Amino acid sequence: MFWNKKKKDSSRKIVIFFASDLHGSAVCFKKFVNGAKFYGADLLVMGGDLTGKAVIPITEQANGTFKGFQTGEEVIIKNQEELDQFIKRVNNQGFYPTVMTETEFQGMKNDPAAQEKLFKKLVGERVQEWADYAEEKLAGTEIPLITSPGNDDFFEIDPILHKASHIQYHEMEITEFKGYEILHCGGSTKTPWDTEREYTEEEYQERFAALIPQVKNMETCIFNVHVPPYGTVLDRCPKLDDNLQVVFDMGNPVSMQAGCKALYSEIEKQQPLLGIHGHIHEGRGKIKIGRTTCVNPGSVYPEGILQGVLVTLSEGEVSSVQLTQG
Amino acid sequence: MSEDTGGTAVAGDPGGGQRIFLRKASGLIRTASGLDTFIYNLGLISVGLGVGSIMLYGPAFYPGGDLIKATLLAAGCMILIAFGWITWSTTLPRSGGIYVFASRILPPGLALTLSLVEITAWLFYCAIAAYWIVYLGISPAFTFIGYMTGNEAWGSAAGWVMEPWPLFIIGSLILIASGVILSAGMRFYLATQRFILTAALIGSVILIAVLSGGTNEEFVSSFNALLGPVLGTENPYQAIIASGKENGWAWDGSSNTEQTWLVSNWPFLPLIGAAFSIAIGGEVKSVQKSQTYGMLGAIILATVIFVITITLCLDVFGYEFLGTAASNFVLGVGVQADPTITLLAGVLSGSTAVCILVSLGFIFWMWMWIPGMHTFGVRAIVAWSFDRIAPEAWGTISPTRHTPVVAIFVCTLITVIFMALFVFTEFFSTIVILIEAAVLAWSIVLGAGIFFPYLRPEIYEKSPIATKTLLGLPIMTVACALGCAAALFFFWTLWSDPSAAGHDPQQLAIVFGVFVIGLVFYNIMKQIRKSQGVDVTLAFKEIPIE
Repeated sequence: MFWNKKKKDSSRKIVIFFASDLHGSAVCFKKFVNGAKFYGADLLVMGGDLTGKAVIPITEQANGTFKGFQTGEEVIIKNQEELDQFIKRVNNQGFYPTVMTETEFQGMKNDPAAQEKLFKKLVGERVQEWADYAEEKLAGTEIPLITSPGNDDFFEIDPILHKASHIQYHEMEITEFKGYEILHCGGSTKTPWDTEREYTEEEYQERFAALIPQVKNMETCIFNVHVPPYGTVLDRCPKLDDNLQVVFDMGNPVSMQAGCKALYSEIEKQQPLLGIHGHIHEGRGKIKIGRTTCVNPGSVYPEGILQGVLVTLSEGEVSSVQLTQG
Repeated sequence: MSEDTGGTAVAGDPGGGQRIFLRKASGLIRTASGLDTFIYNLGLISVGLGVGSIMLYGPAFYPGGDLIKATLLAAGCMILIAFGWITWSTTLPRSGGIYVFASRILPPGLALTLSLVEITAWLFYCAIAAYWIVYLGISPAFTFIGYMTGNEAWGSAAGWVMEPWPLFIIGSLILIASGVILSAGMRFYLATQRFILTAALIGSVILIAVLSGGTNEEFVSSFNALLGPVLGTENPYQAIIASGKENGWAWDGSSNTEQTWLVSNWPFLPLIGAAFSIAIGGEVKSVQKSQTYGMLGAIILATVIFVITITLCLDVFGYEFLGTAASNFVLGVGVQADPTITLLAGVLSGSTAVCILVSLGFIFWMWMWIPGMHTFGVRAIVAWSFDRIAPEAWGTISPTRHTPVVAIFVCTLITVIFMALFVFTEFFSTIVILIEAAVLAWSIVLGAGIFFPYLRPEIYEKSPIATKTLLGLPIMTVACALGCAAALFFFWTLWSDPSAAGHDPQQLAIVFGVFVIGLVFYNIMKQIRKSQGVDVTLAFKEIPIE
């Protein structure tokens, strides 16, 4: 009888704006925060991989110019105005510009330990800047910004994010927002690059085994899991050869699946309301696994374009999913 | 997981000697090389279709038109258009073609409309390619086998496959086969394409070898010996030329500038495929270099093959013969013999096997267009679905094959409808009409590119070409201006050519009708989404940073 139907815990309509894999892009993070007001979102979720992948040394030359590097080419920067523009451009691409002497650069060039130390310093500074920006823009609103770590995120960013006043940083936790439970599980399955937070399929099974019993109502639960489910369009990415080069066939990149089998299995079995994922930048799309809607907004952060997804939840159901490019 | 840092080194190596420090992070390299891009574009040029259509329609309907100069004109303009697309693709290195570019600078409704116009044209050409497979490949092969064996059943079969219903059924089966292959997954599609490209190249090599080894005297002798008994005349070669002239085909032996200009539409049509790598811009590494090599390389190689084949065909078969034979055959007047290059090459060689191999080569070249264009349409429809401007179900992905089965079905259905319109109605029978609409859409997007550096500086400044200037102007402004001018030039060429497209009221209704349909479709979807509480314009709008 319809009047005996189990009442859903969540009756309010909420709009979630989800994006992932910004990899240090300052402009994309600012767009993400501003997206709350722009899209009328009630909740911002950043799916991990906040940290960037490259430091761009800008070296002072004897003649007063600077040498930089952009898109595979050396760049000569003639004056302070050009230097400011170059730094802004590099920041927005998700890289970390740093001015140093030519001697410092040459010394660091063959010193991986010094490079790693520099990386961690610059990444920490960028994450702190983002935490401050989120505080500045979202303070006084009731819009939380939730994030969890991706596989590329240094563990050193954890304390910064935990301390941030307007960022809720969760890993291996269940949280709640307006009647919807959110399961947070970061990292990824193994990659060819041996990154910071990688787990085997067996470890993922253990992680889910620890989290799932904590979920009170799977029907209204959101899986915020950085890695997408295996064997779907959300985890399809270019296949790489032994030299980490993309394999091509007839001019088309050969694709492979790089998601998590344990996650697919759990979604299939548990049938949560929604799965929000990232990790695979090429895996932009939306699928259904049984009743569960799973999305991956993909990422094109080097272009300064924020790919995201607006998910509207209403009466405990997914009422709308809209991929955005802002 | 991937991106392009501009470097190619991995952790531990400070940027492969470059001035960049890279850490251990997933996906330091993305990308298709220039060679991959070149192969992709070459496959979408369809060299066989180009050769077949230029030789069939050129001398027949553009008497005096210099086919070599026309091919070079088309190639030159296509190079300018490619320059414009290279700057767009370098600035916005994302997959999706003009939809991506247009949505960054033009109103969303117009962006969708331009994309819809382009996709409509390409899907129409899927149907045309299926038609040409029958017209330029299957039917001439049957005819030639009939000539060689003396079995009239082959000749009857050649005529039968060109009847409307058989033509529609065979063409539709070809289009459905393309849909089935795409539904089966990219791996299967690529496996078939590998085989087909090899076979197509072999067919082209055999054609050039046969033509290179023959002379006009040998061809006339073989042709007369083989066709004489069939046509009931001792010298059918001269009889065809004479009857063609009696029926209005006229050429004074000199080159005609206007006809040369107009006939350039035919080499231009296949060369458009050289720019299709804009659809995979997001997968291309060192995008500026790769797109440049990929597009220009494909144009140059295809042009070289066109020029060699045209030169050999004119030397061996003769301009007057090709013109009158095709004119008689297409118009159904005078002494008629199938004038397709595949058949004539078979006649020259005197070998059924050669005719079949060359015909298969042509068929395979034309086939390569079909799933390629089909994929273009499917990608766009899935993108519209994601942006909520097409029904959500159109973006449904098969859980087993991981292919967008609904979008593939929709595109296949559209191509079959186009096949029916083309075969059964006069209205859509002017072959190149929709290319006029697509070229206009390209002109608009290239034109918008002129202003992109000024209107979207925050995006343009991140482009690798941002600092490059020409005549004091941003390189993108100059390249898009040249590309836009070249595209408009070909819009004008098509507009002025009633044999290919033209501008009579019916043709204009088709061209502008597609634009209107796009705008209407967008606005209907916008209202439907609005009623569902979804603002579709949000899919494209840049988020302001406060």
